[in-house]
Amino acid sequence: MRQTPLLAAALLVAGAVARADTVEVTSTTMVNAEQQTRGGAAGQKLDTVTVVPAYEIVTITARDVKSSFADDLRLVVSGWGSWDLTSDHRWDNGTSQAGTGDLGTAYVQGQVFARHLQLRLGREAVMTGVGRMLQIDGGEAIAYLGAGLKVSGYAGAPVSQRFQSRGTEVSWNPTGGDLAYGGRVGWSFVLPGFPGRGFDLGVSANMVQNGTKDPVRQEAGADARILLLENLTLSGFGAYSIYDQRISEGTVAATWAALRKLRLTADFRFVEPGLLLARNSILSVFSASTRKEVGGGVEYEFSRGLTGGADYHMIVEPGAVYGKSFYYGGDGAARLIWTKATTQAGAELDVVEAYDNGYFGGRLFGKRTFGKFFAAADVLTHFYREKVNGQTYDLTGTLTAGYDLARGFAAVISGGAGVTPYFEQTFSIMAKLVYNQTYSTKEVR
Amino acid sequence: MNRLLLLGAVLLAAGCGMKPVGAEASRDPAYVFPHRPHLDGEVPCLKCHVGIDKGTKLDISARHVALPKNPSKNADCNGCHSDDPKITVPTRTVPFRFTFDHSKHLPLVKNDCQACHKKLVDKNDAQAPVPPMAACTACHKHQADYAEARCTPCHRDLKGYKPETNYAHGGDWLRLHGQFAKPTAESCAQCHDQTYCAPCHSAQTAAARPSVIFPEEVQRSFIHRGDYVSRHVIEAQSSPASCTRCHGSPFCDSCHIQNGVSASLGASARNPHPSSFFQTHGQAARRDISSCAGCHDQGAKSLCVTCHATAIPGTAAGSPNGPHPASFISAHKGEDKTKNKMCLACHTS
Repeated sequence: MRQTPLLAAALLVAGAVARADTVEVTSTTMVNAEQQTRGGAAGQKLDTVTVVPAYEIVTITARDVKSSFADDLRLVVSGWGSWDLTSDHRWDNGTSQAGTGDLGTAYVQGQVFARHLQLRLGREAVMTGVGRMLQIDGGEAIAYLGAGLKVSGYAGAPVSQRFQSRGTEVSWNPTGGDLAYGGRVGWSFVLPGFPGRGFDLGVSANMVQNGTKDPVRQEAGADARILLLENLTLSGFGAYSIYDQRISEGTVAATWAALRKLRLTADFRFVEPGLLLARNSILSVFSASTRKEVGGGVEYEFSRGLTGGADYHMIVEPGAVYGKSFYYGGDGAARLIWTKATTQAGAELDVVEAYDNGYFGGRLFGKRTFGKFFAAADVLTHFYREKVNGQTYDLTGTLTAGYDLARGFAAVISGGAGVTPYFEQTFSIMAKLVYNQTYSTKEVR
Repeated sequence: MNRLLLLGAVLLAAGCGMKPVGAEASRDPAYVFPHRPHLDGEVPCLKCHVGIDKGTKLDISARHVALPKNPSKNADCNGCHSDDPKITVPTRTVPFRFTFDHSKHLPLVKNDCQACHKKLVDKNDAQAPVPPMAACTACHKHQADYAEARCTPCHRDLKGYKPETNYAHGGDWLRLHGQFAKPTAESCAQCHDQTYCAPCHSAQTAAARPSVIFPEEVQRSFIHRGDYVSRHVIEAQSSPASCTRCHGSPFCDSCHIQNGVSASLGASARNPHPSSFFQTHGQAARRDISSCAGCHDQGAKSLCVTCHATAIPGTAAGSPNGPHPASFISAHKGEDKTKNKMCLACHTS
């Protein structure tokens, strides 16, 4: 009897998909074999095990579902199941079982009242304002009130992986609560005669509580996007922890397309990381440190198909003696990307300087398509400032080849090898069969 | 309930007329008709595009093209055509990405197609030039819709379009994209369904890291590429709270337990901290409590509670604020601790 509602729901979903104008279907059947470490008590050497999970990942998006009650009705579902083929399960299985699975996204979205109200219901992410990409099982409504005024609200239960406990003290759910609600009031002003120019301003709030109604998150925020000149965008965001009565985050950024080929960015961020911990975490009562990041980036198109860029941010964080000294770290990257016809190649450098450790790394990658066949290579290395597990570097590489089979099917096989601080030698292999197809209703007039 | 089953089955059956427009659909044959000489010859468009004035929807199955069969014998054509060129109009499979009602618009421009179609497709062109959006906004005042990213119903979706000015995705986009999404997430949704964001942002429900599932996508800026296990401690320290934004503490602990470095293993755990860490751990915790949370966030069973809940000098009773920083005290002084389960872990009375 219990299966009947599930079956009915599945058939209704299938029915809705069938009534859609466009349906995108992606299915990935994948087997991945790799080595992982396992180790026991103090003094013991880490063991190496091979894990071989098999996955089935399915995503279905149905657009323009025909209905009499909503416009632009769409259904989006993405989920997966896996089975660990060896007795050693992969560490991020999330359960004690060989078989597991999860639902990443599953929502129905539509517009009603002449598109003045957008409704979304299901497993979704809240993106706007201080929502911080909160993943909920619930609903969100966005009302367009005219004159650029927009009001949105949401409520739901924060998602926990593999449908495990949500609001307990030790929760798989990063938000750590049972109930989340909030919303945003925004106003868009458009400069008459200049499409796209104007500004968006908004204030928002996000509240999360657990089963005992203890606060998990209480934040209010303000955000802005200002585009008065065609190629200069200014944006800002500020968040205030109501529970702790302190500013939790503030950012300002500017992006400027100085020339058609030249893009510049600059930004400043203030954050109090401890305030982003769930308020029902015992560790949140110790939080006090602040960090500031300031920097920018540049991107330039040297010639057709050749683009380079670099960015760097200085990070001011607490030093050895809390409250009395600072450590000036950094985070930077540089990249060069070359594209010609069916060939793409790139090189990247990156550096991270944190208080306890840091690294300098590089990456080379390339991909080429030969008709229906394609091949890709990817090599990464990192050199650590301080030793990690007694080692100073890692070097890993992956070779991938694939073939576009008929009727939307593609087969891909990938092999990897490397030297890491935890493996003198490590190997991995992945094989997948991908089905990627868009279906469209054929109307005869 | 049986009615629901029946309804679902009927709806499912109703959709059986769907056709795949996948990989083949992205490779339409080149155009075969030379528009330019016919425009120069002032041939009315509707001579060949028969029925377009009644078309209510863009539809690849209804092309509204009917070329005269014998131009050399047709009075409208034989001024130029002395013979009969053989032109087969190829079938199109790439679906239109926007909706448009020609029957309503043609009377408004007095059947002058070039009022919108500023540039026409010509022989051997791979793609027909789409009328510029300025052609739409010349009459339709869509600024508010544009600002609010309400692109439907004209655009079905904006997938495949690459923004060049507003929201251009170049440079330091990975760092800044969240900043742009906060005021106008609906703009992002015009091109990206949430399934696009989920592999990174809904990491807790993802099957595996994106770089494991898509090793062929070497050009994409995936997080956690390569040997991330070795780097994760460094990156966590460099960007505190970035881990806990996506991963609950059991996620970290499930690996730490299997590798013998979890605080929840008690005395049998391998201690990753230096021998002098006990003396300096307070400074480290003040500096970066989020990193501590990666291993030590077990609620009332957390290792911190063992000492800080008791009257060890300098921890709970030995200092006026106990282990709390002044900023915490200023917000919570005088609060009723019995009403908060977390407080009760240490403040047992």
